[in-house]
Parts: sequence; structure tokens; C-alpha cells
Amino acid sequence: MTTSAKALSERASSTSTASGTGTTRRRRETRAAWLFLAPDAVGLLLFVALPMVFALALSLFDVDGFGNYRWIGLDNFHRMLSDPMLSRAIWVTVKYVVLFVPLSFVAGLGLALLVWNKFPGVAAVRTLFFLPNALSLVVIGLLWQFLLVDKQGVLTHAARPFGLGDVSFLGDPKWALATYVFISVWYSMGYQMLLFMAGLNDIEGEHLDAARVDGAGAWQRFRHVIWPLLGPTSFFVLITSLVASVTGLQAFDLVYVLTKGGPDNQTSTVVFYIYQQAFSFGHFGYAAAITVMLVAFLVAVTAVLFKATGGGRFHAR
Amino acid sequence: MTRPVQPPPPTAGRPSRRALLGSVAGAGAAALLSGCGDDNNTDELSFWNFYGPSPTPSPTSDWFTSVIGEWNRNNDVKVRPRFIANAAYINGNTLQTAFSAGSGPDIFLLSPGDFLRYQNGGALLDLTPFLPKGVRADYVPGALDTRTVDGRVYALPMEIEPLVIYYDRRAFEKAHVAEGDLPKTWDQFLSLATKLTTKSRFGAMFETLPGYYQNFVWYPFLWQGGGGAVKDGKSTFDSTAARNALGFWQETQRRHIAPKSALGGGSGDTPSNLAAGYCAMQQSGIWAVADLKLQAPKFDYGIFPLPIPDGGKHVTDGGGWAFAVNAKGKNPEAAAEFVAWALASTDRAGIDRARKWNTVAKTNLPPRASVRKAAEAHDAFTSGVLETFATQIAPTLRSEPRYPPEVYKAISDAIQGTQLSGKDPQQAAREASDVIDNFLLTYRGGSIL
Amino acid sequence: MLADSSSPTTVRRTRRWRNGTTLRAVVAWALALLTFFPIFWLLLTAFKPSGESFSSGMPSHWTWDNLKYVLTEVSFPRYLMNSAIVSVVVTAAALLFHSMAAYALARLRFRGNSLVLGAMVSTMLVSLPVILVPLFLIAKTLGMLDNFAGLIVPMIFNAFGIFLLRQYYLNFPSELEDAAALDGCGYPRLFWHVVLPLSRPALASLSVLFFLANWNAFLWPLVITSNPDLYVVQTGMASLQGQYASAYNYVLAGSLVAVLPTIIVFLLGQRWLVDSMKSSGLK
Repeated sequence: MTTSAKALSERASSTSTASGTGTTRRRRETRAAWLFLAPDAVGLLLFVALPMVFALALSLFDVDGFGNYRWIGLDNFHRMLSDPMLSRAIWVTVKYVVLFVPLSFVAGLGLALLVWNKFPGVAAVRTLFFLPNALSLVVIGLLWQFLLVDKQGVLTHAARPFGLGDVSFLGDPKWALATYVFISVWYSMGYQMLLFMAGLNDIEGEHLDAARVDGAGAWQRFRHVIWPLLGPTSFFVLITSLVASVTGLQAFDLVYVLTKGGPDNQTSTVVFYIYQQAFSFGHFGYAAAITVMLVAFLVAVTAVLFKATGGGRFHAR
Repeated sequence: MTRPVQPPPPTAGRPSRRALLGSVAGAGAAALLSGCGDDNNTDELSFWNFYGPSPTPSPTSDWFTSVIGEWNRNNDVKVRPRFIANAAYINGNTLQTAFSAGSGPDIFLLSPGDFLRYQNGGALLDLTPFLPKGVRADYVPGALDTRTVDGRVYALPMEIEPLVIYYDRRAFEKAHVAEGDLPKTWDQFLSLATKLTTKSRFGAMFETLPGYYQNFVWYPFLWQGGGGAVKDGKSTFDSTAARNALGFWQETQRRHIAPKSALGGGSGDTPSNLAAGYCAMQQSGIWAVADLKLQAPKFDYGIFPLPIPDGGKHVTDGGGWAFAVNAKGKNPEAAAEFVAWALASTDRAGIDRARKWNTVAKTNLPPRASVRKAAEAHDAFTSGVLETFATQIAPTLRSEPRYPPEVYKAISDAIQGTQLSGKDPQQAAREASDVIDNFLLTYRGGSIL
Repeated sequence: MLADSSSPTTVRRTRRWRNGTTLRAVVAWALALLTFFPIFWLLLTAFKPSGESFSSGMPSHWTWDNLKYVLTEVSFPRYLMNSAIVSVVVTAAALLFHSMAAYALARLRFRGNSLVLGAMVSTMLVSLPVILVPLFLIAKTLGMLDNFAGLIVPMIFNAFGIFLLRQYYLNFPSELEDAAALDGCGYPRLFWHVVLPLSRPALASLSVLFFLANWNAFLWPLVITSNPDLYVVQTGMASLQGQYASAYNYVLAGSLVAVLPTIIVFLLGQRWLVDSMKSSGLK
């Protein structure tokens, strides 16, 4: 990378006469910028922002899914206040996020530290950790259902010595959410490991060597050198896993294939509830209202986290 | 059963000024969009179903292909089938998404649980004018009720699928249970299931996954004790019958004699569960006869009617899907003609077509008397378990209810809570009843049956 | 670092590392094998004869029948082809567009830069399940129902890639634009001939991630296509499940076929995935 850049700058100095004035350059730069931005800007506008605006509009209507619309103002938002099923779904999502985000964070960071330095077969080990993330959630749902079948599943058998042989991991309301979290962590820890490895790779070796010379132990090196320098990575991992666990595919696809929100609504997340309201009950307006609330909530949380963690480095030039 | 709760509002009434303004303002785009984008080819009708033509050959797929092929050979307006896998069709969003965008199929399969939502939304075409004369009298009592609003038929049932208990003869022999000891009451059923439960096999199986299907298979137990959900615009769910029925299923879990999750396609799937040795008794529908014949031909099984509470009456739930026509489709009249021709023709070929669906492609009870007669002439329903279905089970049939989603969900939560979380049936029934009452306050639409 | 490799501290460190390394290797391998077990079991069951799906040991004999069945009786080859087309095209287009946008955001000065960045990053908070219906409406209006365009175009746009690539471009030496401007070569040419080639490592790693994400997409293909000829692997899988709920050997063989390409792509691409993230940095 540096070599070609150098070559370029050499070439530049030899043809310096071709440069234009400052203002035309600025104009050219602006024009180029918008040209480069155009495809993605149009695409995101059309396929992400516009649907969101649509959702906002829908939230003010009673929509039955058959082309009938009735303006009801803020009634949908009002209704959310007294919907016990929504509170249940929010509670499920809260439990899921509170379990999943820290667990997958710790697992991802732990694995990254574990495989950061070389040992025999380290590449293979990294691959094995990441592999679950390469599978589709459809396959993951099927596979785990198969492994955890009551009495006959291979993992149910394996749990027998621990006195858990009669547990229905996906069918028992007491276990279902924990199982869902476990599968989610299994699925995403490899990905988070990768992100953390990228963060670790950015830490200059000298920092650590200096720390070693100072006689710092492994824990101290982690606490005082690695952890602070991982700040931006941690923030990124935190935000992405928060979004993924609240509205992402793992909050929907996985529930959809694993449990359909059951047993006894214990895995019915807010996103799954939105989907149910829209597609099973035909309350598209109400579903849109919950969507709006959810996205607004995420925006707020991100903003707060951004401020609180000084994650401002996101925007640093 | 056919008691209108309140006068259904005119589906195509005058929209209020406010509603009109609203639809122009916010959803105008959607309304405008629904008119364009599609090829407005009125010579081709789309028919969405979960049978055929499927990627893998099956008798049901063959029936769909051949019936559609026959129609297409003799008519200018062609029918083009679209196969959507069972799981995606029943619990999925494909159909609903298409309807929301104004591009629903011309013809589609509809279950009783979805009927009122589609009907109240004005999505269903009135099929009455297209039915051959006298054919309504040919339908067995009750078969059309849940597809009828104000005396007009909005969907045509293709089958009736009653529920029974299937049992594994080998498991019974191993546990030294004689055929004469088949359980008649809930208590007998529970103690037999306990006896049949081993380390690797459950004694009994009822559905545990929440959904329309679970409610469908639970209703008979509610009805056996005289319970119900809605009557005269009020909830009747908070009853002894409901509490007992909830308690019965709860007991199968409390005694650990039924699994908390089924194998394969769920508790209706007998080859994956009963035939695979996962349980010794399983509640399922008449379709299982064909499934077992196809997928586990050597499996030795028997059936018996659903057990009843002391003093209860024998009732079973007759499910089944119906053909429906999209009122806002490209050519609704032609679509309705196709549906009437496919399922309600009174000529010989028509009856034979329906017979083949109900006895060759699948195993169902035919919803029409003439079809059943024709089937019997072909030696169907004259021996084995199908005879039991025809003689013993059919008289106890009650149609699958068409509760709106809100009612379904309230009952579903009650079932799930009591069955799996050990919730008190009394409390669960009361809570569900409150939710239903609350919903009925604002419900406007076809009568809830 | 190489120069002081003989210094006493390093020697001591190496020795200490060695003991630690053995322990670490053992722990890592044990965890890795546990993580891999479900996938291993999937592999194993796909080769078990029917009826043995729930047996907890090795197959009584290995059989290709299940795989042969899903590859010949079900239209799996076509699904694989469709998935490949969609994933490759989406990945290629996304990489091009995202690197263009990211380059502009990272390197070019223009009014509203941070506003555009903020707006784009905030779209990461919106996920598909919550905008399914409106998105479907828009795709339909654009004539994207039931064709490859519908499977491909709406899936290209995703701020995640823009964000990562922008971080990458921030680290480029600042002489880059000066040189180009002086050269009179113009931004499009600079981008095409210099920036894009320099982004190869970052693009390579993103291409792996994008490919996986699109190969594994289920919800959108299910909704946007109704023609079975346009089924992708995941929707094909779902239909297999509906048809053969009882036959876990077939369902798992189908799963294996569905995941094999992702595993291969990952194995081929993981080198870039790890290496390039080194320089991309998530600052």
C-alpha cells in the first residue's frame, strides 16, 4: 500500500504544473464526493429510509392488510400502553439482551485473547470458532431442534449425567430462553472474536513489550494496556450486538425456526411480536407503531452509549 | 352455532370523509401502488397452495396438477398454480405480504382460523352465484357453516379432517395392554399413558408448539364438557369445561408422560413421532392414515376416539382447508368458476375429482354426501381405520371454529400457560375470558362461530 | 523487535510463554471441538442411513443416498445456482458502491459530510423484519416482484460495509489526493486505478462476510419470489422441511448442501478476513 502511494506522490511532484486553483479543486472534490455517494445514498434512501417513513405513516392508521386504511391518529401508540402482551414481549427482549450482549461479548473477547497468539493449529481453532456464523439461521434452527429433542436428542442424552436428561431444553418455559441465548452465543461468538482480533491487531506491539519490561503480569497487561486500547472495538461490538439482539435477524429468524415464540411466550421477542401483530393478526398499523418505538429506542440508546463511552472516535477524521 | 353476534357492517359501504382523507394522505401511495406493477393479464389466474406442483412428486401434488391441467385444456382463462411449502404457507407471511401489497393471488387455500380476517377485510369473493344448483344441500351438515356469512358462501371446503388418537400396537403389546383396554375417559387415558411411558418413549403426545394448530386440536376437549369461547357477543370461556380441559393437558405434562416438543413436523406428524417410537399414543387427524401408508407402510397402529371427561360427550374437531377467491383479483368471476368447477361440480366427473382428492391423493372425510357415496362405491371407508372414521367418528364432528386472531391468541396463551408453565387453569381461563370480552367490545365483522 | 530477540527479558518471556501456550492450546482446542460438535453431528447424520438419525453413535454404514436424494429428487442444483448468482452479484455491487461511498466520506471534503455519515450509519438501526411490508411495496412498485432484480437490488444497500470501509480509508496516507489532483487524473480515475486496488484486503474480507449474509438470507427471498424457479437454497430448504418433516436424514442432508458453500467460502477467505481486519481497524 505504501509503495504505490509513494510512487503516486513522486509522480505527482513531477507533474505539479497540472494542478488547478484551490476553488476549482474544492468544487471538483465536492462534485466527485456526491458522485461517489450517489448509488449508496439513493439505495439506502429507497430501500431503508423510505420504508421506515412508510412505517411511520402506517403507524397512524388502522391497517388490516387488505388495502383498507383508517386514520386513527395516535391510537396505536396509545394502545401500546395497555397491551399486556407487548409488555411481556419487551420483558423477553430485555432478558434476552441482558443475557446475550454481555455473554457474547465476554465469549468473543475471551476467544480472541485465546487465539490471538500462535500455538499449534491456531488457524484451525479460529476457523472452528467462527464456523457457526457461516451457517444460515434456518439450518441452525433445524439442527438445534434435532440435537435437543426430548429424550432422544444427542445433546439431551449428553445432559443425562448432569441430571438434566428429562429436561426439554426448547419446550420447557423455564429453559427455552436460556437455550435460545445459548444458541445465539454459539452462533455469534466467532464473529465477535473476529472483531476483537482486528482490534487486538491494531494494538502496537511496543505497548505490550513496554508493559512486559515493566514486569506487568498477564492480567495487568490486559487491564491497563489491552482493555483501554480496545475501547473503540468494544463499543462497536456492543452496539452491533445490541442492535442484532433487539431487532436483528437473530431476534426474528432464530425464534421463528426454533420456537415460534413459545413455549408460553417465553421466547416471543418484540420483533417477533411485531411480526405476529402484522402477519398473524393483520394489525399492520399497530405493528408499525411498535416498530417506530423500537427504532426510536435504539437511536436513543446508541446516542447515550455514544456520549457515555466517548465513542466519539467513530467520527474522528 | 350459526348465530350472528351483531349485524355485520356492509363491507363495501361508504367510507367516511375522514377515512377517505386519511387513506389519501398516508396510505395513498399503497393504494395507488396496488393498481400497477402487476401484469394485468386476465387470462391467467394464479393459484397459491401448499400441495402442487411440489418439487418432489407426491399424490397430492399430482391431484393438483392434473385438475388444473384438465381445466386449462378446456378453458381460455388458464390457472397457474404456485407451490409454497407447507411450513411457509401456514405460519408464514408470503400470502399476507402479497395481500397487503394488493397483489394477492386470484385463488388460494384458506383455513378456518384465517377466514374471518380475510372476510372482514373484504378479500373474499362471494362464491354463491357460481355454485351449481342444489350443491349446497349436498354438503354434509356444518361443512359450509364456518365459510358462510349471512347465508353467502365465501370459501369452499375441500375436505374434513377429524381428530382421533393413534396408538402404536407394538408399544401396547410390550406394556401388556389389550385392545379391549382402550381408554374411554381422560382418567383412563392418563393412567394408560403413564403405564406406556418409558425411558425413551412418551406415553402420549399433544401439541405443544403455540399456533392455530394447537388450538384446533385442543378445542374438542373444551367442547366435550360443554364449553365454548364466544356466545351472543360475550365470552363464555371462563367455564368449568375450559378449566377441566386445560387441566387435562396440564396433567400430561405434570406426570411427564407427554413431550414438551414434538419431532419433525409437530404433533400432527405421525411418521416422525408415533411410528418413530417417540410416543405410544398421539393425537392427530385423518390425514395421518395416508401419511403412515406412504412413509411408514409397515407400522402397525390403531385408532380410538378422543377420550372424554366423566359425563362428557364425544366430539371431535373437523379441520380442513378451503378454496377461496380474491375479490380484488384480476378476474374474480373466472376464478370463482374454476373453484366451483374443481370442488362443487355435480356431474360424474366432478364427483370423481372430489373423491380422488379425499380418498386417493389424501385421506379425508369428504364434505359432500355424493362424494362419500362414490368413495364407498370404490371401497373406501368400508374397512380398517377409515371405516372407523366414517362410522364412529364422523357423527361426532364439529367444524373447526373460525375465531378471529385475538380470540385465538387469548386461548392459545391460556393453553400454553397451563400446559407448559403450570399456571392455574382457573386463573388462565378467567384471564383469557377477560381478553376476549375486551376484544368483543370493539369487534365488527362476520359472526364468530 | 527482531534486534533485541537475544535480550534476557525476551528469553525469560519465551520460556514463560511456552508453558502458558501449552495450556492455552489445550483449552482452545477443547473449546473449539465443543463448538464444532453440532456441525460435526450434522455431517454425520447426513451420511447415516434412514432410521438411524437418532442413534447416538457412528452410522452402521456410511451412505450417499441422502445427499444423492436431495441433489437429484429435489431441485437443489437450481437453488444452489440461484443462491450463487444472487450472492455473487449482491456482493460485487455492494463492494463497489460501498467503497465509493466510504471513500467519499473518508477522504473528500464537502459540506454535509458528517451529516451524510450520520444518516447512513443510523440506517444500521433499521433491520429487515421491521420494514418488511413497506419494503415489499417499494420493490413491487419498482417491478421487482418475482425476478432476480427483486432478489438482488434491495439487498445491496447496507451501511455496515460503508462504515467499515470508511475506517479503512481514514488510514490512507494524506498525499493520495494531493498526488491525484496534481496529476490531473481526476477522482473517478484515482478511485478506480489507485484506491480500489489498494482496498483489496479490506474488500476481500468484506466479500466473505457479504457472501455469507446473502447466501444465508431467508426472509426476503421467501417474500419477494413466488416462482419456484427463483427459489434460493434457504427457501428450498424450508420446503424440504415441510415435505419431509419426518425424514431427518434428508433434511440434514439438505442442510449440509446448503451450508457447504458457505463453509468453503469461509475456508478460502478466512485468511483475508483475519489479515485485513488488522489494517482496517475499527477505530
